[in-house]
Amino acid sequence: MQAVFHAHGVTKVYDMGEVQVHALRGVDIELFAGEMMVLLGPSGSGKSTLLNILGGLDRASGGHVFYRDFDLTTASDSQLTQYRRLHVGFVFQFYNLIPSLTALENVAAVTEIARDPMKPEEALDLVGLADRRHHFPSQLSGGQQQRVAIARAIAKRPTVLLCDEPTGALDSETGVLVLEAIDRVNRELGSATAVITHNADIAGMADRVVHMSNGNISHIDHNQKRKQPRELHW
Amino acid sequence: MTLSALNRKLFRDLWAVRGQVIAIALVLAGGIATYVMAASTLRAMRDTQTRMYREFRFPDLFASLKRAPLSLASRVRQLPGIIEVETRTAAPANISLAGFSQPVSGLIIGLPASGPILNLLHLHAGRLPDPNADHEAIVSDGFAQAHKLNPGFRLDVTIEGRRQTLTVVGIVSTPEFTYQIAPGSLVPDFTTYCILWMNAKPLQASFRMTGAFNQIAATVSPGFPFENLFAPLDSLLRPYGGLGAHARKEQVSHRFLTEEFKQLEMMATLFPAMFLSVAAFLLNVVVGRLMTTQRSQIATLKAFGYTTSAIAWHFLKFTLLIVAIGAVIGIAGGFQMGSGMARLYKDVYRFPYLEYGLDWRVTLFAFAISALAAMTGALFAVLKASAESPAVAMQPANPGHYRRAWLEFPGLSQPSRMILRNILRRPVKCSLSLAGIALSTAILVLGGFWIDAVDFMVFAQLRRAQTEDLAVTFFGPVSSRALYSLRSIPGVTLAEPSRTVSARIRFEHRSFRTGLQGLEPSATLRRLLDDRLQPFEVPSQGLLLTGHLATMLGAKPGDLITVELLEGSRAIRTLPLTATVNEYIGISAYMRRDALNRFLRESDVTTSANLRVDPNRLDSVYSRLRCIPAIAGIAVRSQALQSFYKTLAAQMLTFAFFNTILAGTIAVGVVYNTVRIALSERSRELASLRVLGYTRGEVAYILLGELALVVFSALPLGLWLGRQFSAYFASTAQTELFRIPVVVAPGTYAFSALVILLSTLLSAFIVGRQVNHLDLVEVLKARE
Ligand SMILES: Nc1ncnc2c1ncn2[C@@H]1O[C@H](COP(=O)(O)OP(=O)(O)O)[C@@H](O)[C@H]1O
Ligand SMILES: [Mg+2]
Repeated sequence: MQAVFHAHGVTKVYDMGEVQVHALRGVDIELFAGEMMVLLGPSGSGKSTLLNILGGLDRASGGHVFYRDFDLTTASDSQLTQYRRLHVGFVFQFYNLIPSLTALENVAAVTEIARDPMKPEEALDLVGLADRRHHFPSQLSGGQQQRVAIARAIAKRPTVLLCDEPTGALDSETGVLVLEAIDRVNRELGSATAVITHNADIAGMADRVVHMSNGNISHIDHNQKRKQPRELHW
Repeated sequence: MTLSALNRKLFRDLWAVRGQVIAIALVLAGGIATYVMAASTLRAMRDTQTRMYREFRFPDLFASLKRAPLSLASRVRQLPGIIEVETRTAAPANISLAGFSQPVSGLIIGLPASGPILNLLHLHAGRLPDPNADHEAIVSDGFAQAHKLNPGFRLDVTIEGRRQTLTVVGIVSTPEFTYQIAPGSLVPDFTTYCILWMNAKPLQASFRMTGAFNQIAATVSPGFPFENLFAPLDSLLRPYGGLGAHARKEQVSHRFLTEEFKQLEMMATLFPAMFLSVAAFLLNVVVGRLMTTQRSQIATLKAFGYTTSAIAWHFLKFTLLIVAIGAVIGIAGGFQMGSGMARLYKDVYRFPYLEYGLDWRVTLFAFAISALAAMTGALFAVLKASAESPAVAMQPANPGHYRRAWLEFPGLSQPSRMILRNILRRPVKCSLSLAGIALSTAILVLGGFWIDAVDFMVFAQLRRAQTEDLAVTFFGPVSSRALYSLRSIPGVTLAEPSRTVSARIRFEHRSFRTGLQGLEPSATLRRLLDDRLQPFEVPSQGLLLTGHLATMLGAKPGDLITVELLEGSRAIRTLPLTATVNEYIGISAYMRRDALNRFLRESDVTTSANLRVDPNRLDSVYSRLRCIPAIAGIAVRSQALQSFYKTLAAQMLTFAFFNTILAGTIAVGVVYNTVRIALSERSRELASLRVLGYTRGEVAYILLGELALVVFSALPLGLWLGRQFSAYFASTAQTELFRIPVVVAPGTYAFSALVILLSTLLSAFIVGRQVNHLDLVEVLKARE
């Protein structure tokens, strides 16, 4: 399989004046095309930091991160912007929808600037929200908002889909709906997907589970068979 | 075309903060409106002035004299640089018209048989006098308008005691008399002063000026230094009683217009600058706040690949839309106000025409300065926010950093402590709000100050300095025995002589031409005042100058001043400056009448008399005075007072009215935005308190207590600032014609504070209602 990402010796240091926080201490990792990967680890272990760096939101302090042949660590700001615009879809823990735009318009805000996106309606259909197109975020439940966020992330048909605790703010039943949407996108669009969670039960839906602790990858598990999100319980 | 998602967001964001958008747009509109009003009026008046000077052939040089033969004109024409010369006869006249008992004085000017070549006339109605008609006249339009005269009306005109009836055949105006002020008067009074023209021949016959002239005007070739012409011209005219030539700069109408332009210029710069800086500040606060609330939205957009510049542009469009709203309201309002102002001006300045219009340069500049103000206000916040790393989107909003306040009393309740800490957390923002409120207070004080100042001027000048009921001017020097006959008129209770002569006052290299007045030492009607407005006796020796003239000349008491008389003996003498006189209107020099007469080598003569008259017998006194041939003009003091108020009050009150509205707008804009933002920033915190069991009133106290603290600290500062502004404006507005006293009445302070408090209450009321509607569940659920 072809690696979408390969990263070597990635470090990240936050300089807090008196103290330095080593969020990542030399991480090597790969993400393959069409793969579903779960990043598992306690709070503060560096999961978000790693995902931000892969998604071009943040820069590594050391090491190299390649998206295919493109070195994210040496890219300019505008190259990173183009990279995110064309290839990356994000899902955040707190949804981060634009409150003044309807569900459909939130998706359109991304399709308008993407290359060869799907129709916003189509993306909403994919997450099962066809009937909520004209609702504003405040008129939607948390799970629905998160599914809009997923629709927004996948509408550009991203090569990579990065989700940071997508179910963190949701109860388990709603969380399943959200994970199903992610799972479906991964299968149908073939986007390489990374999902952060500190919830070990969710790891069952992944091809590979990357365990992180204290800024390092402690070990990697391979699941023989991906579970359906329905089969997960927490 | 459908709107892009981002543009929809733009309009919805604008709509969500519409209250603030309107408040800012109105403050902006205030600044733009004052600018457009002043600038377009100024431009209209300047353009009209230039155009009419050319069209009506306004001369470059002017001179008056006693009497010279017509042949002198050709000698003047031969002076280098002179192009055209016109001579004419002008005479003071007493006028009476049916149904108007008060004395009317006027200036009557002879029209050359072939028509004037300089100072052309603009005919508003009727026609010019028939060249052969001896009893036809045309009158100035201000007078015709004040008395509703139409061609065909008859006037009784008395020149040097000879009375004749003239038929008004036309109504005219001319640049020479845009400002029609009677000699010795303070402001134009169209009911009691009039300019008339009749054929030169009959005028010269009745004024005993046949074959002679007493006024001369000339045009000079462009670029010729006409200062070089004063000396040769004066030496030609001196033998004929020349009073010294002067340029346009000293021509009455031109001088008043120039002063008016200066004031308009100030209004077109200082006021808009104040308003726009407040608007810029408000935009800064509101856009800054918007950037904070949308911090994670901005980061999310960036995470999805929107470029920094696309996001910056998005928020700049937000600002520009507010600016556009403000500018459009401001330009439309300013245009309306300007046309009102132009009408007011046209009542005071009798332009033949005044083409008021919206100039594209003014409009363009108005847009430019408002965009500039907006950019200064918003650009920094926008650039800073849009440049922030998109990784922010991942993080929950961090709680604000608070510190313990340095001013915490142990007994303070938690809400009061919150108020203090909140103010101290944002010292810069708080002081800017404070400055904005102080500024609007100051603008209000400034608006009231103009009225206070005018009241004070009138009080000082007309109740303390010039207390006579009537002032009578003679054709020339007459023996002071003439006063006996005035005193013998039933109803005249007091008559005091005064002698006025044209003089040039010189100190070092500076000089000024003015009337030198000789007063009685014990005069009770016309009095000289010191700095505390106390009258003092005219000293027997030496010269007195008004404070402003002394400052202009750079002279102080004790200095030796050179006085050159321009009439009579034409003597030149140096006199010590004994004291300065406190006068707010006009510029004069004074000495004792007996000393002045000795200086003039004349006996006991006088040129005017001030009278006290029994108010019940005024009409009979008027008609007796009209029959005295030696009297050239009669001025009624109460009439002067009334007309002064009428002309100035209309302008001042309009100005004060707009000023109050504009300052109120600023106050509401600043106050409303301050509280509204505080509410949105702290709605979570306040809702949490409500959840914990605080009442609405207690929560409102936390929010509005902060506001009250800011407003009450701003008020005294604003009142003080207002007085400083007033002093500054008074000093810039001070002209040769007026000095504005720096007096602010207690009522003005009270009114200003009241307007601010009302604006505060209004804003507090609006925001207070929003506090009542705090949605507890929603606020706690939503993450900012
Ligand atoms: N902007 C930041 N400044 C300083 N320290 C940070 C910042 N972001 C993250 N950290 C620190 O880096 C470490 C890793 O954080 P993060 O990647 O968010 O952990 P996780 O997502 O696994 O909970 C933590 O110790 C955190 O405190
Ligand atoms: Mg995290």
